[in-house]
Amino acid sequence: MRPRPLDLLILAAAAGLTALSAFAAYAPGGGEPVLVVSAGGEEYLYPLGQDRHVEAPGPLGLTEIDIVAGRVVFAHSPCPNQTCVASGEIHREGQWLACLPNEVFARIEGGTDDGGVDAAAY
Amino acid sequence: MPPPIEGAGEGGPAAVPGFGLSRRADLTALLGAFCFFLSAVEYMIPKPLPFMRLGIANLPILLAVEILPLRWFLVLALVKVIGMSLVSGTLFSYVAVFSLVGTMGAALAMWGTKRAGRGAVSFLGVSVAGAVVSNALQVLLARYLVFGEAARLIAPVFLGMGLVTGALLGLFAERFVLGSRWYARALGGEEPGTRPGAAAAPEAAARGGAASAKAPAGGDAP
Repeated sequence: MRPRPLDLLILAAAAGLTALSAFAAYAPGGGEPVLVVSAGGEEYLYPLGQDRHVEAPGPLGLTEIDIVAGRVVFAHSPCPNQTCVASGEIHREGQWLACLPNEVFARIEGGTDDGGVDAAAY
Repeated sequence: MPPPIEGAGEGGPAAVPGFGLSRRADLTALLGAFCFFLSAVEYMIPKPLPFMRLGIANLPILLAVEILPLRWFLVLALVKVIGMSLVSGTLFSYVAVFSLVGTMGAALAMWGTKRAGRGAVSFLGVSVAGAVVSNALQVLLARYLVFGEAARLIAPVFLGMGLVTGALLGLFAERFVLGSRWYARALGGEEPGTRPGAAAAPEAAARGGAASAKAPAGGDAP
């Protein structure tokens, strides 16, 4: 099948939009990476260098997040499909895990330059 | 003089004599059933990332962009949303809202792209346009309803997946319509690869030379 003129234009526009969004999302930050957990209208920051068990509240219950050796997994979530649990682990800046039914989003971002945080909510 | 046909003037088979209300309803119901079936198939396939869909349940909607008038086309899109939500058990949840906004946005984008582009765009471009619009809308919903600023991290993956799956779906649709007698009849033509008033595709013309003598006159419902 030979693409038609508008096909190529639409493909180029889609590819350009994807590239632009990638640049905006994954531009490297500064400092040590931290885990940012968005849940219940709040955001929580956790350093990756310290093993921790986090319970993030959502409409369906608690989503359990484990930080072990700098790697983050959703250990359990009250959603019916458990897709978030099956997504595996993240450990690099820009990676993320999400449970849409329970409205919990966890991502790794570059930390602040003021020496990092233990845990903070804002 | 026969009464005016509902939807005539919107283009497509609504302007074809005999394409009445019952036939549009039948086609919409058939394509809606395919949406249900493909939703079930898609549900069984492991998803690469949370709340991300492969989009194969959009195939009937893509094919319908040239077959159905706008109102029935939107009814089909709504049937797809309900079917997918029922199959995945997410009818009364945020996921259904995402599905509704994404699917209706994709449907309108496909419709608009085909009408604006006419012969300069194929199913490839129509499908990619629909997929990218759908995923962009869902990212915006995620940004303002659920995840806030963090939703920007989802955008590249969503848009990239939409580009790839949309392109694959569009290529499949192009290949399908070349050989589908059902599609040709639904569109008002007689042979695969034909459209009313257009020349037959070379492959269809080669096959149709012998078959046309045996084919009954007039199109029937599949």
